[in-house]
Amino acid sequence: MSPRKKNSVDRREFLKNAAAGAALLAAAPAATAIPKTPESKAPSALPISPEAELRALRRAAVLTEGRSGSDFMVDVIKSLNIEYVCSNPGSSFRGLHESLINYGGNRNPEFITCCHEEGSVAMAHGYAKIEGKPLLIMAHGTVGLQHSAMAVYNAYCDRVPVIIIGGNIMDATRRISQVEWAHSVQDAAAILRDYVKWDDLPISLQHFAESTVRAYKFAMTPPMMPVLLIVDGELQENPIPEGAALQIPKLSPPSPPAGDSGAVDEAARLLAAAENPVVIAGRAARTAAGMTYLMEFAETLQIPVIDQMDRMNFPTRHPLNQTDRGRDLISKADVILGLEVNDFWGAVHSFLDQVERTSTLVARADAKTISINSADLFVKSNYQNFQRYPAVDVDIPADAEATLPSLTEAVKRRLDAGRKSALADRRAKFAAAREQSLQQARDAAAYAWDASPISTARLCQELWAQIQNEDWSLVSSTAFVSFWPRRLWAFEKYCHFIGGSGGYGIGYNAPAAVGAALANKKHGRLSVNIQCDGDLMYGPGILWTAAHSQIPLLTVMHNNRAYHQEVMQVQIMANRHSRGVDRAHIGTTISDPPIDYAKMAQSMGVFADGPISDPKDLGPALARAIEVVKGGQPALVDVLTQPR
Amino acid sequence: MTYFTHPIRIGILISLLALAAWLAPSQSADAQRTGDAANGKKVFERLGCFACHGAAGEGTPAKGKETAPPKIAGTHLTLQEFARTLREGKGEMPSFDATQVSDAELSDVYAFLKTLTSQQKSEPPSSANPQNGQHLYTAIGCYECHGYQGQGSLQTGGTRIGPPPLPYSGFVAYVRQPAGQMPPYTSKVVSDAQLADIYAFLQSRPQATPSKDIPLLNK
Repeated sequence: MSPRKKNSVDRREFLKNAAAGAALLAAAPAATAIPKTPESKAPSALPISPEAELRALRRAAVLTEGRSGSDFMVDVIKSLNIEYVCSNPGSSFRGLHESLINYGGNRNPEFITCCHEEGSVAMAHGYAKIEGKPLLIMAHGTVGLQHSAMAVYNAYCDRVPVIIIGGNIMDATRRISQVEWAHSVQDAAAILRDYVKWDDLPISLQHFAESTVRAYKFAMTPPMMPVLLIVDGELQENPIPEGAALQIPKLSPPSPPAGDSGAVDEAARLLAAAENPVVIAGRAARTAAGMTYLMEFAETLQIPVIDQMDRMNFPTRHPLNQTDRGRDLISKADVILGLEVNDFWGAVHSFLDQVERTSTLVARADAKTISINSADLFVKSNYQNFQRYPAVDVDIPADAEATLPSLTEAVKRRLDAGRKSALADRRAKFAAAREQSLQQARDAAAYAWDASPISTARLCQELWAQIQNEDWSLVSSTAFVSFWPRRLWAFEKYCHFIGGSGGYGIGYNAPAAVGAALANKKHGRLSVNIQCDGDLMYGPGILWTAAHSQIPLLTVMHNNRAYHQEVMQVQIMANRHSRGVDRAHIGTTISDPPIDYAKMAQSMGVFADGPISDPKDLGPALARAIEVVKGGQPALVDVLTQPR
Repeated sequence: MTYFTHPIRIGILISLLALAAWLAPSQSADAQRTGDAANGKKVFERLGCFACHGAAGEGTPAKGKETAPPKIAGTHLTLQEFARTLREGKGEMPSFDATQVSDAELSDVYAFLKTLTSQQKSEPPSSANPQNGQHLYTAIGCYECHGYQGQGSLQTGGTRIGPPPLPYSGFVAYVRQPAGQMPPYTSKVVSDAQLADIYAFLQSRPQATPSKDIPLLNK
């Protein structure tokens, strides 16, 4: 550190006095008089002006010439090989901020400037989907943590690891302004506690080291989730106590929990004997290896896979990918295996949201159901994302990816040559069905092909034509574009898709796409994001982050100028009440005035084109934008689209 | 406008087409069977049979390459043949098990079909105005789930309705009393005349270019 000018108060003398005072506090009986220290002034009957308070504090201030507590915190963070810290700046973690960029050299982690904490966390969400490990997020006191809440909930629901550090000023006598009081909180973690896996409030640097490593371990143990550390500003900013024997604990990578061998064998028995088994994959593949395990399992049994695509589980054009025939297969299945299925009950029932809400069992009443799901290993009460209770026959609370290899081996042991031959016939049937469903999707996509606004099928296929020969990664959901990519594109690698938000909190997609693109950057992948307009408007500042940090990402706007899901919801009510639907646009559309997303992106330094309404113009615009992205910069193409 | 988010409804929509193969005259071995035609009508509507076959079972004329839902009014199938078709499915038609329609209900539907001798046309009145229909289609929100061209969406559950794959009477019946997720439209919200205009607009939508002739759909 560079030498600094000393203040009028000798630092060593100050620390000596402070330590002596602390020792007396610890040892003295309650009635013992406590010697006055520079900061322990007698209460005054008169209010002290903020200026006078600041002057008093300056007199007592000490420059830290050695290492600060936050420097040690950086050592701890670096030990975890965290690549980035995404944050909007805040004074309650100014100490750690400064240490990261100066002491830590702003590398591993590198500071990524965000315009909103919701964007910070969603970036970490998207990054983890690609990289399989967490980023660090810093959030300022009450307000930063409150801003982060929606995105933390998404990550919690989606079982994604994120490390969150919330700044706070714990000692009330050290808060220097009205603002700092408003931004301080007695129990800061309570803001997020309902939807983080674990939180702690370290009161020493050694405590910080152990809790940070512990937090990382908890976050990375299935079911993965965000974790939260509240770090006191004083602990960051004060010097490391002389003689402190600080150690950074070793991180022991956790082994994911695999299923009980007896239960796995029972599942294998049912599956091997089944005539019409089916697999439903939710968050089955945590890593690329998960895809491989699922393919080996499916091919061993020649069992059809219905991919809910909460993760990139199974190649879309694999003969056994029967997602388009999902409900039909479920209705005929004698054994149904769910792998990390978020809503197993919903997967085997239909639900009708009419005047009277009704549900119907789709599966056969005699079907045997098996669930392998790590979600059961960690459940909280308040938020209801655990879904309706599924009364399955074989319940294996374990990580599906970790359990699949043993399940496959158990199935193999039960298949003799005759049975394998019979199973081979299944494959031919499913291969034909897969070709048929692909053709049906192509035929359906042909309708409104030349329409303006541009059909979502046309948008997706114009994009597919441009990226299919690249090392590509779709970093957005396919649901809002009628699942066309899933139905028409060839997803083959784990990086080809990142799944959804988990909690369905709008405002996720744009920053998650930027975070995923950040992860893809070092792999040289072409990240593409089909971006809904309503979602982007929650936090458009993320475009600036992408430009500022030179994150290559192609954003293609699905600009239907509405919160379209809500248009339909209001219409349902208007129909129910027979009041007409001509006013359903009130409060649900964002068309008057229309938003020019190209100009908005350009204003933040992002290359942009559009709005494009003629489908013939779309291909060339995408080609221009992709060239920019290949050059390492973000680009946006605004496309006026059909609703879905 | 059909909201077939319910998979069973989707199956019904695409599959009752297969009944055509069973409509050849046959010996009525079940002539004595007397189901409850009134209840059969309710089941017929509950299952959404009218969406493909029309409210009077009149069927839909074939257009282009599409397989048309056949006329089923006054079916000449035997009850056993009718039951087997529904229980086992045939062609694109899915099977319906006893949890979806009981044997008694099946007999009732059969009895109802036997009462139908309608020669009802599957076309809207000649006075229907497709230009006004286009305006109405957007104004009353049909586009929200079915797209501005009636192309449909898997996400919304709104099936393709442009050009309409269902007969006019089935269209009207479904709009008034949807069997799936679609919110019902009463005559207070949209009149019969307006529905005729909307149907005429949907009829004016062109058939899609064959996907094999669209290079981007073959990658």
